[in-house]
Formats: sequence, structure tokens, C-alpha cells
Amino acid sequence: MHSLRYLRPANVEEAVRIFNENEDASFLSGGHTLLPTLKLGLARPAALVDLTGIKSLRHITVGGDVLSIGAATCHADVASSDIVRRHIPALAGLAGSIGDRHVRNRGTIGGSVANNDPAADYPAAVLGLGATVVTDRRGLVADDFFTGLYETALESGEIVTRIDFPIPQIASYAKFRSAASRYSVAAVFISHGQSGVRVAVTGAGTNGVFRAKDLEQALSDDFRPEALADLHIDPASMSSDNVGTPEYRASLVMVMARRAMAHPGTTQSYK
Amino acid sequence: MLNERAFKAVGKPLPRKEDLRLVTGKGRFTDDFNMPGQVWASMVRSPYPHARIVAIDVADALGMPGVLGVYTGVDCARDGLQPIPHNPVPSTNFDMKLTGPGGTKVFIGSHMLLPADKARHVGEAVAMVVADTRDQAQAAAEAVAVEYEELPWVADTLAAAEPDAPRLWDELPDNVLVDSSFGDAVATDAAFARAPHVVTMTAHIGRVTGAPLEPRAALGSYDAETGRYTLYAGSGGAVRQKREMAEVLNEPPENLRVISFDVGGNFGTRNRAYVEFGLVLWASKKLGRPVKFRAERSESFLTDYQGRDLVTEVSLAIDRDGKFLAMRASNLSNVGSRCASLSPLSKGAGLITGSYDIPVATLRARAVYSCTMPTQAYRSSGRPEVTFAIERLVDKAARELGFDRLELRRRNMVRPEQMPYVNAVGSTYDSGEYEANMDKLLALADWQGIEARRADAKARGKLLGVGFANYVESSIGTPKERADVIVRPDGVEVVIGTQPAGQGHETSFAQVTADLLGVPFDNVTITLGDTDVVSAGGGTHSGRSMRHASTVLALASVEIIEKGCALAAHCLGVERDAIQFDEGVFRVADRNTSLSWFDLAGRADDKSLPESLRGGLKVRCDSEMHTPVFPNGACCCEIEVDPETGGLEITRYSTVDDVGRCINPLIVHGQTHGGIAQGVGQALWEQCYIDPGSGQPTNGSFMDYGMPRFDNMPSFKTQIVEVLSPTNPFGVKAGGEGGTTPAPAVIMSAMEDALSEFGPMDIEMPATGLKIWSAIQQGRARLAASKTA
Repeated sequence: MHSLRYLRPANVEEAVRIFNENEDASFLSGGHTLLPTLKLGLARPAALVDLTGIKSLRHITVGGDVLSIGAATCHADVASSDIVRRHIPALAGLAGSIGDRHVRNRGTIGGSVANNDPAADYPAAVLGLGATVVTDRRGLVADDFFTGLYETALESGEIVTRIDFPIPQIASYAKFRSAASRYSVAAVFISHGQSGVRVAVTGAGTNGVFRAKDLEQALSDDFRPEALADLHIDPASMSSDNVGTPEYRASLVMVMARRAMAHPGTTQSYK
Repeated sequence: MLNERAFKAVGKPLPRKEDLRLVTGKGRFTDDFNMPGQVWASMVRSPYPHARIVAIDVADALGMPGVLGVYTGVDCARDGLQPIPHNPVPSTNFDMKLTGPGGTKVFIGSHMLLPADKARHVGEAVAMVVADTRDQAQAAAEAVAVEYEELPWVADTLAAAEPDAPRLWDELPDNVLVDSSFGDAVATDAAFARAPHVVTMTAHIGRVTGAPLEPRAALGSYDAETGRYTLYAGSGGAVRQKREMAEVLNEPPENLRVISFDVGGNFGTRNRAYVEFGLVLWASKKLGRPVKFRAERSESFLTDYQGRDLVTEVSLAIDRDGKFLAMRASNLSNVGSRCASLSPLSKGAGLITGSYDIPVATLRARAVYSCTMPTQAYRSSGRPEVTFAIERLVDKAARELGFDRLELRRRNMVRPEQMPYVNAVGSTYDSGEYEANMDKLLALADWQGIEARRADAKARGKLLGVGFANYVESSIGTPKERADVIVRPDGVEVVIGTQPAGQGHETSFAQVTADLLGVPFDNVTITLGDTDVVSAGGGTHSGRSMRHASTVLALASVEIIEKGCALAAHCLGVERDAIQFDEGVFRVADRNTSLSWFDLAGRADDKSLPESLRGGLKVRCDSEMHTPVFPNGACCCEIEVDPETGGLEITRYSTVDDVGRCINPLIVHGQTHGGIAQGVGQALWEQCYIDPGSGQPTNGSFMDYGMPRFDNMPSFKTQIVEVLSPTNPFGVKAGGEGGTTPAPAVIMSAMEDALSEFGPMDIEMPATGLKIWSAIQQGRARLAASKTA
């Protein structure tokens, strides 16, 4: 790996300042994608600005109908949080289903959301719950935030500070994991809340996380697993690799959607 | 010769002596060693599967910070370096004799440290950069400008064997380096001609890699004053590496010292020398600085010696009662771009008939070069492949001809009274009670309860599949082993030339030594891995270590006991014949006086001793043992397939393994557990996949190479059976590979059973969720079509 400057600011203002002072800097918030990329020489930032030392980015709070999670909160803390378990148990389960123990103690919700890996779990929760991604500059609703594979609406130097999740009536998540990477081959997050039914799919779409509008419509009319019985996903919108063909992923999406509906208030992980 | 009643350590599940060291971070792995003035090497690797090296421009790289040298294949040739002498054709008296086409000598393409002519696989090192730091070396390696002329390539095993396939070696008319036939072809043809039933199957046992936890590494240094080289490199046997590296460097062996203490996993990948071993030594002399190399994980995936990759076509002739009449097999092994080992092909060749009494058989064994990383013996070299072939073929025969799969096996198994049994291709099975293994296994696996569990799974929407396989394998390996046994006042030291990579030799060899000499287990230490101390030895492979070590230790114990008796006679002032040795004590029959080993050792250096008793209480003993042994057993597993997703869970896994004498059941069970995981990994997740369009390997990290993990395994039920082998003093067979041997067969047997309602399936390993789901879709479509028809 090439040599670079490693910087660990104590607060967001300092992070912004040193990001601007260092040409070709990159934010680090866990690094499970970034560090392998650096080791392979696929990215060569001159400086890494580590956000995980910023205390104000590590919190889990509830205010009114909103559950807020600081961007530098690691997956293990979300998974074990009594607050998350009480208000959105599927979200705690989702965090607990990411990677392995080491990953969960290092990876952060902000890092995952900002990276928008097409197979990552958190984007499904953010989109599936209609959350707001709050940055040092503004708030971005989930539907506007994820813009494509590894692409988001974040501007250069913009820092995700927290995610605000509207607390739903019920939510659930079901995922089918790759045996090698443990990333989802297809996963579906379903919520029923203030703004109706939302269904978000990750791991499967050619363009990353997306909302399955047909499924949302069917479940809005009838919020039971049976409502999904005759629905299908178009394989043309599904990605293809050694792990799954478009047809396989399209089938898995429907299976995961039905299983999510069959196990309300939980995260189910299949392999 | 052995007094079993005196065994205090042998057969006991003693905790391993090495574990405290290893779990407290005190292991001495190659990368733990650093030397003053050390610099780093990095390799420039070919991005093409097959390409002529037109020119290499090193000027830019040489100008980069910290760079001390850039070396190419032309430099290797100019310095007169020799190819690595892999000696790949197995040559003990009992190995199957492989030849080139028409009985010719097998052509072995030269394996230079760096090629000067062309690159023959993606990742082949074509140049080396040495710099002050690792980062500098890696950065400069990227700046080496290699001009390649891309050539047509072939990676696929069957395609490589075609007469018009792109050729790797100009010395051959095609890529076929081995083409040998065994058994009685005429009698086999006759038996097939009159057989009422013939069942045929073709399978590709795919390519996998060992992925040891410790990436390979090497540290080489040259001492100009003594003219000696030192190489730190974890391997399967330092003595072999010393001999081969000395040849590469054109040096007498005594000018080389190879050190291999703790090794973080081997599985066969480390049993052949790597080019980097020679390169760091060569560069250390040129630069006058110690040179170190450590592979990245991605380099390990690309360029660790890989395993398996055999295409097998097998047929069985069967009579109306289900008796096997004859077998025909054609095995094609993909050795990769250079031939590092033909052990997998050879070992498998001797075992094609498996656990069954098949009167006649014939086998054609071929090997081909291809534009891929060379393959090497990989845990249970060659045996999982042929076990897969015979066991899956027997399952198929049972299904197609309407026999019960267990009954069909029972009808044909080699019986204990046939031992020693010579199979149809000439292998002599030493001992074993094959059908008794089956009976023990069926009880252990609760075969009776299967239908109840199947119904329970069905109620949960799952398809239960039960797999079954018998196996017999062989343990041959390098025939020679040496042990030094040294008794000192504070304990016994054994110096021996095997090389564990987690197998626990320091414990099990100490158990054997303790009981042979009648000393406490805690007083025995085992020394391994430094060729300045370990003068000879065969290394660790092919399940040979416990058998060869216990044999040479048994021989050594006779000699050192005799020495002890002579010394005791002198010390006690009696004739030699008056001394009796029993359970570690030397005594005179009619006296109260006695001497222990450690009492004697205290007097062994006494200057007043007569000439014949001087020199310390120690012996050096060599043994040469060619006769192979045949570990055997039976295996059963249950899986539950989720038909909606193609996912599966292994719910039960039971084995019965006849390992001969079991020295340490704790270690043997552990070996079986790890062996099972390794075999199951091949069946379900692991594959070194090469993109057919580009020739690029696509599994470069743990993101896309699926390793077996503990949460994908059930709690195993493993039972050890000890039918002592008559071939060696302790009756040892082997316990390191039996877990792996039947695993691919038994998993795929379970898969077929789980999906039986959809008709015959054709799922190639690894059986991923995608493949299982697709097979179910196709099966459903077939069923629907046959209903409407």
C-alpha cells in the first residue's frame, strides 16, 4: 500500500477543515471497502480523514417518532442497542446480520450508507424506512440520496452526521447471503408506517438499492404475505454474476419479500 | 516387539504441547523473522494467461526511490540458475508408474525462477524488484515495463487435451505429458461385453486452493565470509527445500541452511518449492543484503500451488445380482503450466476400484499442461477424486438398476478375509474391515431415523438428503526418514525431518517416544525444521509422518536401549546380559540397584568410560519403508435443501475412520474435523474459477472464494477404528486425510437424494445456491412437461 497521511479529527468542523486543507483526501469511517481498495492500489488518496473518533457522531437517540443514529455508530452498537431493539427491531437485527463480529465492531452506518455498495444492508433499511440522511450541510431524504452503484447525492467533502429513521408500525428484513462474501445476493426490507408501505431491495438490482413499487402497491392494499403470491420481479432489472443470474435474483427477491412478511418485526438471514 | 501394556501415553488424548506457544503468540512463522539490513522483494506478474516476453524495460523502475535491483529471466539464465527440480513423477516401489505417450519419459517443462521465454499463466512472476522497503518494491514493480506478445491460450482441462489446443511447450506435439494405461484391458473389455448392465458417469472434480492462514513468505540471506545461504521459508519439509534450492543455485547442499519452524497451514500448497524461495537467496548474494518476500493474500490466491482439477470418466459392468464385474476409468489431470507433481494422478490411479472387489479393471491416466497455476498434491492427493468417481457411480448404478444403495455396496465390498487384497490395478490393501465400518457408521448416523427426519424436514418446507460413501485411500509418501534420539540428564530430545503445519507432531511423536523408552511424556521434546540440526527427513505429506516417525523411532529405541544396557552394565559392574530393561529402568535381576535413563545420561559423558561407550547416550537411525498403508472408512451426512432459494444446511455429519493405531485421539479427531471441512468446501463453495473468455482467474479474495466456516458445519460425529496395519511396528495407517477423502462424494450423494423427486440431476461442484435452484427449476419444468405430454 502506498504511504498516505492518516488524520483523526475530534469534531465535524475540524474534519471539514482538514479535508479541505488536504488535496486528494478521503473520509474513512470503518474502511471495510476503502482499505481493501487502497491495498489493491485501486484508490490512492493522499490523506485519510478518520471520522470514527468524532464523539458527536456516535449516538443512538429517540425523539418523537424518529430514531436517530449517529453516522460513526458501529454495527455492533446498533445491533445491541435497547433503543433500536425496542423501536425498530428489524433494524437491530439487520445490523447484527452484517458481515461477521470483526466487521460489526469496525464498520459504521454512515460509512455503509455513504459508500452505497449495491449489496450492503443499511441502504435497504434507509430506503425501506424512508429515512433522512443528515449531513453537515443539509438533510437528504432516502429517495433522493441513493443515486446509483456506489453513488449518492453527497457532494465532495460533505459528511453524513446521522440518519433519522421514522419509527414504523412494523418493519422486517429478509436476506439471502453469499457463502463467500456474506453480502446479500438479494434482500428485502419492508416497512409499514406513517408514510404507508415501503419495500426496498438490495443486493439484486443492476442499479443498486431500489424500491419495488409493485410490491408496495400490493401490500398497501393488503398487508399480508399472501398479497405477494402472484407478483414477479422483472429479471431485466436484476444484476448478474457468478453468485446469481438475473432469474435467480428475481426469484430470491420475491422469496425474501414473502419471508419478510411472514416474520414481522425481525431480520431473517438465509444461506 | 511392542509392549502395549506399557503404553502410558500412546492412545491418550493428551493436550498438544505446541498449543500454549501458538495461542500465546510465541509461534515462529517465517514472517516473524527479520534480519539487520533486510530489504524487500516484489514480483512483476503476468497479466496474460499465455504471452511471449518480448522485452522488459527496467529503467524507470531502477530510478525509483529505494530500488536496489530489478531482475528478469534473462538475468537468471545469465547467472546459470537451474530449474526447480520438482521431481514430479512418483517413484517409490509402490507408486503407479506414469509415462509419457507410448511409454516415453514424461516431459517436464523447465521451471526456472523467472522465465525468459514466455509467461504461461496469469500471475506468473516474470521479473523481481528489490528495494529498501516493501512499499517501494511494490511501487517499482508496477513501473517495470514488460512488452508481451499475447498468445493463444487454454485453461480448461478437457480443451487442453485436444490435439489442436494452443501448446505451452514446444518440446511436445500437444499438451499431453502423461498417457499411461493400467490393469487388464482385454479382460475388462470381455467382461463389459457380456455384462447385462453398464453404468457410466463423467465428472470434473474442480480446482481449489489451500488458502493457508499464513501467506507464503521467504527470507534469504547470504554470508560472504562462510559462503553459506540461509533461507527462512515455511514448507512441508525443510530438507527437501534445501536440496532443491541448492540445485537451483548450483551450490553443494551443505552451503544452504533452510529454517521452517512453525507453519500456518499447508494442505499440500507448501510441499513444492516456490520461485520466490530461490529468488530471495539469489538476490541476497547479488546485493549483499538479506532479502524478504511476503505474498499478499491476492498473490496467494493467484500463485499458491493449487489442487485437484481432474476429469474422470468411469464405467461399471454389473451382473443381474448386482455383482460388479469390471470397471473402466479414464482420468485426466490438469497439472497447470508446469509440472510440480503427478502425485494426484498417480495416487488416484491405484485406487479406482475403491472399497470394492472388482475382478478386472483398466485405467487410462493422462495429464495435460494448461495456462493455469500448477497443481500440486492437495490434502488427500488424488483420493477424493477417485472416491467421488466410484461412490457416485455406485449410487447411480443403484438408482438406475433398482438396487438399494447400501445393499449394492455390501454385495461388493472387499472382505477382511481377503486381506491383504490386491485390487484390479495392482494396489495391495494392507488391512481393514470395510463392511464393519459401514455397520458402525449406520448406527452412529442413526440411519433408522432418516425417514422420520425426512418427514420433519418436509413439514418445514425443506428437502432432506442423505449422503453415503465408503472410502479407501493410500498413504505412501517419501520412503526415507531419519531420527536422532538423544537422552540427556534432563530429558529426551528427538530430532526428525517431518514438518507439521498444525498436525501436532511435537505431541504425538513425544507420546510414541515416551512409551518406547519408558520415560514421562513431559520429558520428551521434538526438534524440527532447521536443516543445520535436522540432517535428513522426508517431510510431511501423504499422511506419512506418524507412520514413518513411529517406525524410525521404534528402530531407534531398540538401538538406544541396547546402548543404555551396555552403559548400565558398565556402571553397575556386571555383564551386559545381566541387565534387564523394563519401563524405563535398567536393573540387575538379583539386586536392588537400578538406573534410570536420566541417571545413565548423567554418566554418558564421563571421560573414564571405555571407548565403545563414549559419545553420549544418543543414536541416529535411518529407516526406509516403501510399503503403503490403506486407511479406510465410511461417511454419512444429511443436508436440508431450501427449495425456494437453493440454500442448504448440513444437519448431520458422521464418519467412521480406520486410522490403524491412533496415537492421540484428540489430534486425530481434530484432523478429521478439519479434513471434513476441507472436503465439504470443495463440494459446496470453493473453486478457482477461470473466466473462459479472458483466461483470468476471478477468485482473487475471500470475497469470492467461499471458505468453509464453522457456522456452515454441524457438530460432527467422528468415530475412530483401529485395525492395526501389519506393515509397521505400531500398526499406524494415517489420520490426516480421511476426513477429506469421502467428503465431496458424500455431499453430492446427499444432494442427489434431496432432489430425487425432480429426477436425475447434474450439478457440478461446487454446488452453489444458484446451481441447486437452477436444477430444481429444470426438474420442475421436466416434470410439468411429462405431465402434459
